[in-house]
Amino acid sequence: MLLKNKLFPIASLLLSAGLMAQAPQIEFEEYDLNNGLHVILHEDSSTPNVIVSVMYDVGSKDENPDRTGFAHFFEHLMFEGTENIPRGEYSKYVDRAGGTLNANTSADRTYYYEILPSNQLALGLWLESERMMHATVDSLGIQTQKKVVIEEKKQSYDNRPYGSWLAETVKRAFKEHPYRWTTIGDPEHIMAAEDWEFKAFHKKFYVPNNAALVVAGDIKKDEVKPLIQKYFGEIKPGNDEIVRHGIVEPKLDGEVRDTIFDNVQLPLIFQAYRTPAMETDDFYALDMLSTLLSNGESSRMYKSLVDEQQKAIDTGTFPLPYRDPSLAIAYAMPNMGVDCADLEAAIEDEIKKVRDELITEREMQKLKNQYENMFVSGNVKLARRAENLVTNYVYFRNTNLINTELDKYLSVTREDIKRVANKYLVKDNRVVLYYLPKSYQN
Amino acid sequence: MKQFTVIIFALLVGCGLMAQVDRTTAPPAGKAPKINIEEAQKFELKNGLKVFVVENHKNPIVSYSLSLDLDPIVEGDKAGYIEMAGDLLGAGTSNRSKAELDEAIDFIGATLNTSPSGIYASSLKKHSEEVLELLTDVLYNPIFPAEELDKLKKQSLTALQTSKDDPGAIASNVSGALLYGKDHPYGEVMTEKTIEAITLDDCKKFYTTFYRPNVAYLIIVGDISLKDAKKQAKKYFSSWEMADVPTYQYETPKKYTKPKVAVANKEGANQSTVYLTYTVDLKPGCEDEIKVKVMNYILGGGTFAARLIANLREDKAYTYGAYSKLNNDELVGSFSASAKVRTSVTDSAFTEIIYEMNRLKTEKVAEEDLQLIKNLLAGSFSRSLEDPKTIAKFALNIEKYKLPANYYQTYLEKLEAVTAEDVQAMAQKYLTPENAVILAVGDLRAVRPKLEKFTDGTKVEMYDFYGDEMQTLPVPEGVTVDDVIGNYINSIGGKELLGNVNNVELGGVMNIQGMDLSMTIYSKKPNWQCVETFMQGNLVSKQVFNGVAGYSESPMGNVQLDADMVKSMEYQARMFPELYYLEDGFKTELSGMEIINGDEAVKLIVTNPVGNEVTAYYSMQSGLKIREVVGSPQGVIISNILEYSDVDGIKLPKVLKQSVGLQSFEITFETIKVNTEIDDKKFEI
Repeated sequence: MLLKNKLFPIASLLLSAGLMAQAPQIEFEEYDLNNGLHVILHEDSSTPNVIVSVMYDVGSKDENPDRTGFAHFFEHLMFEGTENIPRGEYSKYVDRAGGTLNANTSADRTYYYEILPSNQLALGLWLESERMMHATVDSLGIQTQKKVVIEEKKQSYDNRPYGSWLAETVKRAFKEHPYRWTTIGDPEHIMAAEDWEFKAFHKKFYVPNNAALVVAGDIKKDEVKPLIQKYFGEIKPGNDEIVRHGIVEPKLDGEVRDTIFDNVQLPLIFQAYRTPAMETDDFYALDMLSTLLSNGESSRMYKSLVDEQQKAIDTGTFPLPYRDPSLAIAYAMPNMGVDCADLEAAIEDEIKKVRDELITEREMQKLKNQYENMFVSGNVKLARRAENLVTNYVYFRNTNLINTELDKYLSVTREDIKRVANKYLVKDNRVVLYYLPKSYQN
Repeated sequence: MKQFTVIIFALLVGCGLMAQVDRTTAPPAGKAPKINIEEAQKFELKNGLKVFVVENHKNPIVSYSLSLDLDPIVEGDKAGYIEMAGDLLGAGTSNRSKAELDEAIDFIGATLNTSPSGIYASSLKKHSEEVLELLTDVLYNPIFPAEELDKLKKQSLTALQTSKDDPGAIASNVSGALLYGKDHPYGEVMTEKTIEAITLDDCKKFYTTFYRPNVAYLIIVGDISLKDAKKQAKKYFSSWEMADVPTYQYETPKKYTKPKVAVANKEGANQSTVYLTYTVDLKPGCEDEIKVKVMNYILGGGTFAARLIANLREDKAYTYGAYSKLNNDELVGSFSASAKVRTSVTDSAFTEIIYEMNRLKTEKVAEEDLQLIKNLLAGSFSRSLEDPKTIAKFALNIEKYKLPANYYQTYLEKLEAVTAEDVQAMAQKYLTPENAVILAVGDLRAVRPKLEKFTDGTKVEMYDFYGDEMQTLPVPEGVTVDDVIGNYINSIGGKELLGNVNNVELGGVMNIQGMDLSMTIYSKKPNWQCVETFMQGNLVSKQVFNGVAGYSESPMGNVQLDADMVKSMEYQARMFPELYYLEDGFKTELSGMEIINGDEAVKLIVTNPVGNEVTAYYSMQSGLKIREVVGSPQGVIISNILEYSDVDGIKLPKVLKQSVGLQSFEITFETIKVNTEIDDKKFEI
């Protein structure tokens, strides 16, 4: 027994070393331009395509509380055109080149990208540098995008069953931190905002010293560097001092519980637990715990609630991975005729088990196997690799995290999982929302 | 000479470093990169299983996709069973319970999905033997456990319930039923009833009949050599037994000869899902395929350059997105254009979609716009090659649809060769809004009147979630019988004023078949009534009721009311019958809503204590009764009250249009008197 115990850590070390060998290393090079723009280059010539993308370090958390939705609004506005690109033409350049483009906004950052045939690399650099240098922020664009954004909100939030869950959750989970509003924001803020406010926001945040550029795919580093210098080098750094909000959200200190009556057919339970920020040790352990509970049909919550007890039609848990302390969500949709309280008790039973008992060795190994697979599969696509690289830089100034993050997961222990369950997955640290059909209201 | 060269060189270098960037125009493209399309390798096992292998050693992942090539199947009163059979396949084998199977898959971080059309599994290369062992256990030894079927049914019923709120699901059911008919495999609708009817035998039979190697393809993609793939295929799949698999044929659904305009309700929607769709004959790999794809992308592909987005989003800001789709299909293809728009522009959105469709038919597309779409499709084709599964899909399509072997190698050439004339010809052939189902899912009340303009005078049909036509609108949530009756009474004067009315005299003229008739109606509290009709000053008919007896006098003779008629008249001759509807003995039921002369009316069915039924319609807007329907020996009598007069705060019918069978007449009461002297002799029997 003793011997076996002694050998075990070595065996598992070997095992994880063996595992690591399977995840291909992702090579990249990075440097700063004089204006502060950070550049990341990654070569992969599998197909003759390149991705050019810029991540601006601005998200909804950088907004004024009575002007929410600004960062997302700019995601739209910055397709309107630039000094050298007429209104409505921006995306057409990409279309004409046979490329594709899009953008997205989160609480923490805004991301714009183009994927182009590799002979159109210069076009991508021109487009993104024009956007950074000369974006048109004028009344016409602002008026048009105001309407589009309102329709987006209706489509993606108001008219989607349970579409308001995130807004309803965060406003209860956070009292002070700007995570208390969602990226789409309050349409009234956007409608009320005057042109100068948009201009000021733009001048402050959409500057090279608050952004990182990634160029990846079928490129040659030596050829791409002078081109980057040519298009981005002359952009003036921003002068406005960017002061981050610095708000540390106090502890929740007591469960918050509420019911939302909505245009839905079936109830849905949401639990939101306050959790630590990304890249902290506890974050990795909690993320694995979430996988243990709900990733795959053999996961604990799925197996118990959906398969065995048949109380739920679906259930899951997932983290909202943010740079500041954030939330982990657990949800479950009851089967017809199942009482919400009954289902919630069944969720609580599963969570209690991880608080009370160590998970099994086999479960721990399963988690490691699952993460290994996720890391390999998650970086197969060039676009995903580019985004992961730049996210790691913008959030943590640690681009190479893409190659080392799996280690952080693999070093989580069973004890860690039990510890974080007890620290975070507790009643006083959560918001519980019941979504109920309006017909239940009477 | 040497010096000169150096100077030139320095100049060049200097220029390179110092040159102002020309930002005013887009930089030109470099030399077009070469796109390599690898070929899949293929072989066949003795049992007829066709295997495709695409090697890609970039990542240590291998996937196995078993794919059945079946004709669509009609499920009939068990709609949904095939999907369930697909799910059940992965719900346990004779070697492993579902829980054990799930655990074994998750333990190695693998994926394994079953569906009616096949099984897909993928894992890191080092686990591929285990994955194949699991995949084939599922393929050969499924046990279809009864408790898993029960569970799936329960889940399906719950899922069905949630989808009733999903405008996409509603649109899909309704358009499917309208395009293909509910007896076609593409138009069948899964309901609570069809789910309940599914049995284990249905699922097992599907599996034993259709899961056969001779109708299957195995596609192996990833970090594996052809040699190893062959070894694995033989080891794991050669014992799979072949059998004859039935094939099915279907009649092509008929196209509409004029637009079919329909609405479906989504409670509380502030947006409409607009959907214009019709069937097309477009087989995969047909000659038009690439040309028609270009045409559709110009119209409504997922790009800002596409005309639907440019028009409905960028120009008009009706919507966040507007798209068109052309689905090719061996049986019957379809076209659809759709968007989610704010309710107020539901009709305008259709108008603009149709406008853009017609514009492509009548105007030749500009060379520049065409080139843009061609480049875009070429780029998307090139990007799709990043995924080795694309290569496998190409090989499969070539095999399935009997395409030329170089179909994909020459794809970009064929794309580049598409001309503006081709696009116009494709638009003329495939864009036919005149055959379309024009369907809006949203706030039915607001949307329905807006869509009338797309009909040629016929009504806008209403459909429910299941794709069945509805005759009436649903009653708005929260509206009760008490509200409807209360509103009506208030709208004609209120309980107190009506209570003070002792008698009413109405006199008017009407024209029937060229003859002028005049009519006077005397009513007296509580239920006395006398109706006199004159032609050229001569009395031609008279009906009298005095609460206990009555008679009717006409050129045909004189008839006394029998005991039953008297009983009925006690109620029917009441001056303001609604004052009594909430009393004991009356049965009342709100039965939906209808649009009457543009006015939304709630339908109330009232049965009096002696069993006579009357259906009355009350305007939601004014509260007034606008129609009443009663049965009579002569047929159903429909009375429409087109206009009311106000006499001292009491509203009485002014213009009344009545019809029985094919006859109808309109009467306008010029004389309306309340509480005047009426000689009791009028009511004498």
